[in-house]
Amino acid sequence: MTRLRAEGLTLGYDERPIVAGLDLTVLDGKVTAIVGANACGKSTLLRGLARLLTPREGAVYLDGASIAEMSTLDVAKVLGLLPQSPVAPDGITVADLVSRGRYPHQGWFRRWTERDHDAVSRALDATGTADLVDRPIRQLSGGQRQRVWVAMALAQETDLLLLDEPTTFLDIAHQVDLLRLLRKLNAASGKTVVVVLHDLNLACRFCDHIIAMADGSIVAEGPPTEVVTAELVEKVFGLTCVVVPDPVAGTPMVVPARD
Amino acid sequence: MTTAVLLRTTRRRRTARALLVTAALAGAVATLFVVTMMVGSFRLSAGEVIASVLHLRDEPSVDFVVRGLRLPTALSALTVGLALGASGTIFQQLLRNPLASPDFVGITSGASLAAVFGIVLLQAGGLVVSGLALGGALLAALLMYVLAWRDGVSGYRFILIGIGVAVFFEGMTGYVLTRAQLFEARQAMHWLTGSVGQASGSELRLLSIALAVLLPLAVLLQRQLRALELGDDAARALGTRTELSRAGLLAVAVTLVALAVAVAGPIIFVALVAGPIADRLLGPAGGGVLPAALAGAALLLTADLVAVHLMPTPLPTGVVTGAVGAPYLLWLLATTNRQGAGG
Repeated sequence: MTRLRAEGLTLGYDERPIVAGLDLTVLDGKVTAIVGANACGKSTLLRGLARLLTPREGAVYLDGASIAEMSTLDVAKVLGLLPQSPVAPDGITVADLVSRGRYPHQGWFRRWTERDHDAVSRALDATGTADLVDRPIRQLSGGQRQRVWVAMALAQETDLLLLDEPTTFLDIAHQVDLLRLLRKLNAASGKTVVVVLHDLNLACRFCDHIIAMADGSIVAEGPPTEVVTAELVEKVFGLTCVVVPDPVAGTPMVVPARD
Repeated sequence: MTTAVLLRTTRRRRTARALLVTAALAGAVATLFVVTMMVGSFRLSAGEVIASVLHLRDEPSVDFVVRGLRLPTALSALTVGLALGASGTIFQQLLRNPLASPDFVGITSGASLAAVFGIVLLQAGGLVVSGLALGGALLAALLMYVLAWRDGVSGYRFILIGIGVAVFFEGMTGYVLTRAQLFEARQAMHWLTGSVGQASGSELRLLSIALAVLLPLAVLLQRQLRALELGDDAARALGTRTELSRAGLLAVAVTLVALAVAVAGPIIFVALVAGPIADRLLGPAGGGVLPAALAGAALLLTADLVAVHLMPTPLPTGVVTGAVGAPYLLWLLATTNRQGAGG
């Protein structure tokens, strides 16, 4: 059984649906990448999966229950999401920010406990941000900052973690660094990870499963080696290209064709 | 040092600092509260003031000065300051903008329009004016909430609409003033300057009760405020019911500022500076509602002391807060622009 799936999911902000009648199953314990051209609805889909958007039609099911009918707090204990552009309050320190990930586990009167403390320590260790605890977020580099946000999502201790374009604004080294971190988290705790990515080559290299989207529906999905072909890239991104094996890992690598 | 130990020391230091700052602010407020009642044409010792306020000793002449004349003003400065400080910091954190204090987003000007309308056209005074001010503030807040609503209320839209509404109300207030007779115009202008000395017993009682209920509630809601600060998506992902929390926090903040304006008129800048002062003391992103409320009370008590006793002639409190607040506002605008963090 899969824990997170969508059935006939239609999502949109105004009149026009952005995601229409989409069926999707998220593989448990795997790292899944959602790829597609700009404005194809991948971020909207992720927001729908995380209950940030109410479906027009269809539903998202988490552990068998429709998440639109679950309480926000119950969803937040099982499923975490790192949004595309979260806001760091002025001057906030790393320790403070990561600690805020414990929100769903605290109550009106129940404040800080040992369990919270352990979860935050583990999240800092896992993301390699422990030596930054006293530093204000604003002083960190883009790569460090993104690791801190991931640490906050980890402190939430959810079995599923969704990330919306976490590698945007990062240079190539930090992009790889972040994806390695996600792989490591998945390997260490069996956490199910769904990540919206722009870079197809990185998605092929670091993810178990690829979901390619165009115009609000899924065009293809499966393991990178089976799914990513020159035809698919042409169809999804409108780019003529050659797909060759990555010289290091053998995963598909997209090389633009001569014009 | 392991992460767990490092984290523990960091948290412990933060908690200790928050406790220390809150205690120090509370001490300062208590001291100022007593001092305002000691000075004046009839000087009293701290012991006499405390004994009279707590009914420890009966001494008719002292009791007349303290309980009859000075205590209402001091209580008014204390409660209005607490309310403005708490309300201001909630607004600023909720709308994620240091300029988003209730003075600027139209709530105070809604109250002013209603009060001036009452004074000038209905020849009203006392409780009626306070009631109108309260109603005006609540209506202005409701109007802005409705206008800013589009699948939820976003910070920026609320601020811009608030500024528009404020300008509109100020224009209307100016028009009403031109219709006034000299006596009423004078009265209206006096109300518009804001003074803690103009409070009556029944209004004060209402504000005190509201504070006793709403201040603890605001401290509880701080949990939601901390999550909302991270942006709506992040807050929802953490399990916050964003619209409900925001509506609740706005309701608390609006009620507090509306009652404060009803009691003392629009005393400007206290709500704007109390939160940042508390934050400066607490360290980055402290955001405590209680310390901000205490900072507001300390500010207003000081302003009242200066206005009534240090000036050659006694002035309305609003004049002093304005004189201190305006340079701060300029500094804020100048530095915010330099950092490029206006949003």
